[in-house]
Amino acid sequence: MNEFVQTIKQTFKEVDLVLGWVRSPAAGVAVPACFHTPAQADDAVFDSTCMHNLVVHLPRLAGKKVGIVAKGCDARSIAQLVAEHAVDRSRVIVIGVHCPGMIDVKKAWRCFGFGKRISDAGGRVAMEGKTVAREEVLLQKCRGCRDWEPVICDVTAGGATKAATAPPAEPAGIRKRFAAMSPAERRQFWQDQFSRCIRCYACREACPLCFCRDQCAMQARDPGWATAAIDASQSWMAQLIRISHMAGRCSGCEECERACPVGIPLMLLLEEQNAVIEELFGYRAGAGPEVKPPLLTFNIKDDAWGES
Amino acid sequence: MPRETLKIVGFLCNWCSYAGADMAGMARMRQPDSLRIIRVPCSGRVDPLLVLKAFQEGADGVLVSGCHPGDCHYGNGNYFARRRLELLKRMLPVLGIDPGRFHYTWVSASEGARWARLVEEFTGQVERVQEAQPNLKIQSRIP
Amino acid sequence: MIGVFICQCGTNISATVDTGKVAQAAAAMRGVADAESIQYACSDPGQAAIAAAIRHKRLDRVVIGACSPRMHEATFRRALDRAGLNPFMLEMVNIREHCSWIHSDVDQATEKAAGLVRKGIARVRHHLPLSAGKTAAVRRALVVGGGIAGIQAALDIAAAGIPVTLVEKSPTIGGNMARLDKTFPTLDCSSCILTPLMVEVKQHENIELMVNSEVDDVHGHVGNFEVDIRRKATCVDEKKCSGCMICQEKCPAKAPDDFNAGMGQSKAISVASPQAVPLVASLRKEHCRRFSGGKCRVCQKLCPAGAVDYGQQDEVVRQSFGAVVAATGYGFYDWTGAYPTYGMGLYPDVITSLQYERLLSASGPTGGHIRRPSDGAEPRQVVFISCIGSRDESVGRPQCCSVGCMYIAKQAILTKEHIPDSQSYIFYIDMRAGGKNYEEFARRAQTRYGTLYIRGRVGKIFPRWGKLVVMGTDTLVGDQVEIEADLVVLATGLTASDGAGGLARKFNISCDENGFMAEGHPKLKPVEAEAAGVFLAGACQGPKDIPATVAQAGAAAAKVIGLLSRGELETSPMVAAVSQSKCSGCFKCRDVCPFGAIEDERPAAGRTAARVLASLCRGCGICSAACPPGVISLSGYTDKQLLAEVVAALR
Repeated sequence: MNEFVQTIKQTFKEVDLVLGWVRSPAAGVAVPACFHTPAQADDAVFDSTCMHNLVVHLPRLAGKKVGIVAKGCDARSIAQLVAEHAVDRSRVIVIGVHCPGMIDVKKAWRCFGFGKRISDAGGRVAMEGKTVAREEVLLQKCRGCRDWEPVICDVTAGGATKAATAPPAEPAGIRKRFAAMSPAERRQFWQDQFSRCIRCYACREACPLCFCRDQCAMQARDPGWATAAIDASQSWMAQLIRISHMAGRCSGCEECERACPVGIPLMLLLEEQNAVIEELFGYRAGAGPEVKPPLLTFNIKDDAWGES
Repeated sequence: MPRETLKIVGFLCNWCSYAGADMAGMARMRQPDSLRIIRVPCSGRVDPLLVLKAFQEGADGVLVSGCHPGDCHYGNGNYFARRRLELLKRMLPVLGIDPGRFHYTWVSASEGARWARLVEEFTGQVERVQEAQPNLKIQSRIP
Repeated sequence: MIGVFICQCGTNISATVDTGKVAQAAAAMRGVADAESIQYACSDPGQAAIAAAIRHKRLDRVVIGACSPRMHEATFRRALDRAGLNPFMLEMVNIREHCSWIHSDVDQATEKAAGLVRKGIARVRHHLPLSAGKTAAVRRALVVGGGIAGIQAALDIAAAGIPVTLVEKSPTIGGNMARLDKTFPTLDCSSCILTPLMVEVKQHENIELMVNSEVDDVHGHVGNFEVDIRRKATCVDEKKCSGCMICQEKCPAKAPDDFNAGMGQSKAISVASPQAVPLVASLRKEHCRRFSGGKCRVCQKLCPAGAVDYGQQDEVVRQSFGAVVAATGYGFYDWTGAYPTYGMGLYPDVITSLQYERLLSASGPTGGHIRRPSDGAEPRQVVFISCIGSRDESVGRPQCCSVGCMYIAKQAILTKEHIPDSQSYIFYIDMRAGGKNYEEFARRAQTRYGTLYIRGRVGKIFPRWGKLVVMGTDTLVGDQVEIEADLVVLATGLTASDGAGGLARKFNISCDENGFMAEGHPKLKPVEAEAAGVFLAGACQGPKDIPATVAQAGAAAAKVIGLLSRGELETSPMVAAVSQSKCSGCFKCRDVCPFGAIEDERPAAGRTAARVLASLCRGCGICSAACPPGVISLSGYTDKQLLAEVVAALR
């Protein structure tokens, strides 16, 4: 029995259940799992396809004492939830793992075909005998990762050694095109993107910080920020409600974009917003369970950036 | 685009800026007529989403004005507003909205003349932006 | 059923806005049962018409297009109340200050007014009836500043049986008035009229006097301000000191004489003046030998009352007050940096009018004999220069000090009375003598006392053979003037006093561009500050003379008495409220609330939700903008109301 499984099993002394991953028998990649007994945890895995942010389940398990396997970036979501009183720190055991950088499974499958086994060793990702450099298929957020060490952690369960982080990606594809757009083109871009929104709210359901759930303003009829119509203008407003409410809270886990069935590049907005917040307030979401998020506090010397 | 057809929304705090705008009126200071003022108790009440809502509804410009830093009737509402609105201002280009269409500032109850000047200047600024990039309204349907 | 009333305000609105057309446009809107144009909505017939319409047409919401809601919202709310409608079912639309007064084209202004009314109608649809709560008010008033304004306010409030705490930062009350020799236009002795009032303050059973004290911190709001007052350590036990001044006599350390505006010398331990109230010594550590490393204990050894205590510490006292009067008075413009051609303060015989006042005073450093500072000689030629740091755009101070013209005239008269063969010259810009008997007084300075008035500015002052040459222009003659003066007195303008800005911030009083505290309304609320329960008395609100100060102090006192006489206050119903079943308990509202008005509550097992303490909430709505799902909403400014307004404004 490996050390990772052993650590999870030991956690059961203190918790009711543990959130982690098992390998999907069909596709051979990791899928989220909830272990209720130590025996179930025998199947627990941690590899470079464990890209999901399991923290989304934490606020929904408020009544239970929960163990959760968390990568560095996931730990930021936990810290942010604790800072926002949405998660009781004393009822969570964070099993920190050191992440090697996660593979964008969708991207890999697009390269090699769906369901193909992925092997990841020695800086190369191999599938069906073909190999590519890891950087090619890494998740966008893993490029230039700053969160190898979990910010909040109760037990460490091994994982990868700290290798040289893949450098931040040069804007490519949609990012490159977006960066070059004029204001008018951007406006048109978002109008086109949001015209495809089917208002399924998968983005919100996948987001670990969207714990308002049923009360969410992007869906509520009262007071009527946006109607429920499948309509570019209404979806524009609804989506911006979520983006605005993520200000200073989004840790950039990319779950919303991954969940979007029509592929709206939500991270373009969130990344920009996170960058602005870091520039203005020197804050990254999930800085720590005790740190006040920037929009819930102020500094009378804020005018360093001057009156607009 | 002639300024009469511009639509500008202003969110003014009751204690300083709204009173400042009243002061400008009492002094009969002529101002462009495109501004529609919405009274709020404090600039801290202005949810940035209200500004975005105005843009969604086709506003050509949005102005937010509160008490000067340090003078907030409620102590620190404008400090919160400053953070929220600065963030919003910097996000507008990402959305493809010219940041020239949005302005947040501080006008006290005694600054009637400054208020009138501000309305004139901001209207002029929106006018210029409008000439460069008209038709801001988010369309409901893609033609 | 919405009623819309468009006020013509005589011609104030109707001259540029076609109120009939606006009413017509409003009548076409959904839910509008009645729309009419009224000549004066705020007048009795106007209010009666509104009340009649409410009753006959069964209106449940009212939109009034008229002046600013800051002007008449309260009036119309009362009118609704009298007509049997909840007063908060009113929406006022500002078509005067924000429309008719700032536009000239009738068509455009009418269209805008119609748009504004449309916005108001959209908003009023979401109004809900609200009712005011009541809270107890602390029956005690705080007066900050012990000059004539503070003294008068404190005495008037105390006379009504309401306890007062009077806080003064210096060691004695009396303020600037105590340093004046005589007062214009009657030339009665300043301290003769002031000292009895100072003593009365000290002896009044309803007044607690705290000198050497400052307001440290303020919490709370009208009815219950919790104020931390810092009593600064003076190393003298106020209760023991008898004011015998032996310590001052024997103290070896010289120190500047603040009371005499630096004209004399004082000691490190001293009584501010012989007329000080309370007559108690205080020690200034920065000048004391003991505190600068020496071993001196002279004052402690010699004090017959054993009142000197070097170990005394600042003491912070917390008290609750129902209302506050700010009476922080004024300071004098520091001219030395701004007028380089007047010697930057390097010529000892160029002094300020306050310093001259001390030379004139019998209790001053020269015993009431005019002696110029450089050599103690009696001046024969005295030049007064008015408007130093007032009415002078070049130094960024455009406002009139309002008393300069008069006090120079007074000082010129007193100069002649002290030294009959002297000659006074006054450089002035305009003569301002607006008060009762002022013009006659200023005229007397010229006719009976031979003061020479020269209309013009002084360009330069420079010393020559023991005299000061004053070079200026006589703009009436159009010629240069040169006067050889023995003494030059600069009539420095009045500024807001040091620390007034800090105090204003603590009490949420706004200040104007000159640093003076802003009144609630320039005409109708001259003594109320913007912040509820805070009143202004005297020169802290703007430069004024003694009669005006006393009048304003009395007015402020009357307001305080009116506020606190009922024992309870109506609280605004426009406070935040949480829809607890929807609250996720993230407490962002609590993080941003400036008043600590949010507490947590467990509405059901395993859930925490926010709750608003209505008595502490002041209705800023910061929480409302911070709550992502919008479950905390501010009555009167709900998301619904604001959204309706935004949408209607852009239709």
